[in-house]
Amino acid sequence: MKNRLRVLRAERNWSQAELADRLEVSRQSVNAIETGKFDPSLPLAFKLARLFSMGIEEIFTDES
Amino acid sequence: MSCLQTNPATRQYLRRFAIAMSAYIALLLMVATYFHRFHPKGLFTYVLAVLPAIAIIAQIVTVGLYLAEEKDEFQRNLFIQALLWGLGGVLGVTSVWGMLESFTHIPHFQPTWTFSLFWIFVGVCTPFLMRRYR
Repeated sequence: MKNRLRVLRAERNWSQAELADRLEVSRQSVNAIETGKFDPSLPLAFKLARLFSMGIEEIFTDES
Repeated sequence: MSCLQTNPATRQYLRRFAIAMSAYIALLLMVATYFHRFHPKGLFTYVLAVLPAIAIIAQIVTVGLYLAEEKDEFQRNLFIQALLWGLGGVLGVTSVWGMLESFTHIPHFQPTWTFSLFWIFVGVCTPFLMRRYR
């Protein structure tokens, strides 16, 4: 699944570690999601959406 | 476990695992010494022989507790993948060894080594899994 996480994070000048802290996950988790190697669960996707004040579909794009 | 990041669940896991591992080593030494010196007989022999295995079961429970307590789903996923590789590795090796034992004259594989072999596979595959997500 593609996502705009890296762009959204850059717009706020957050490092991966800062975003990880806000999400209460590891920096590796943020990196894996950003690079599209790991798809977050629905609860984590909602958490991201709340953090960026956006809808889930504005952050993640379904490729199918 | 190098795939595990430092968080409360990981610290708890490592603490429990260290306790269970220490208990295993201590029980194994105690049981082996007792058998060597006193040559127990009867039902007591079976009770003594099983004691170190209880510590191994405690280690398995520790893994289960970690998976239940780890809030970071990516780390949990990574650990589960490592466990599955470990399981696949140990099943593969023991199956091949079993067939070789049945039809050739290779030495008998002691089942007590299965648990150690499992963790060796987990340990070997973990850096490769981590590199995949780098």
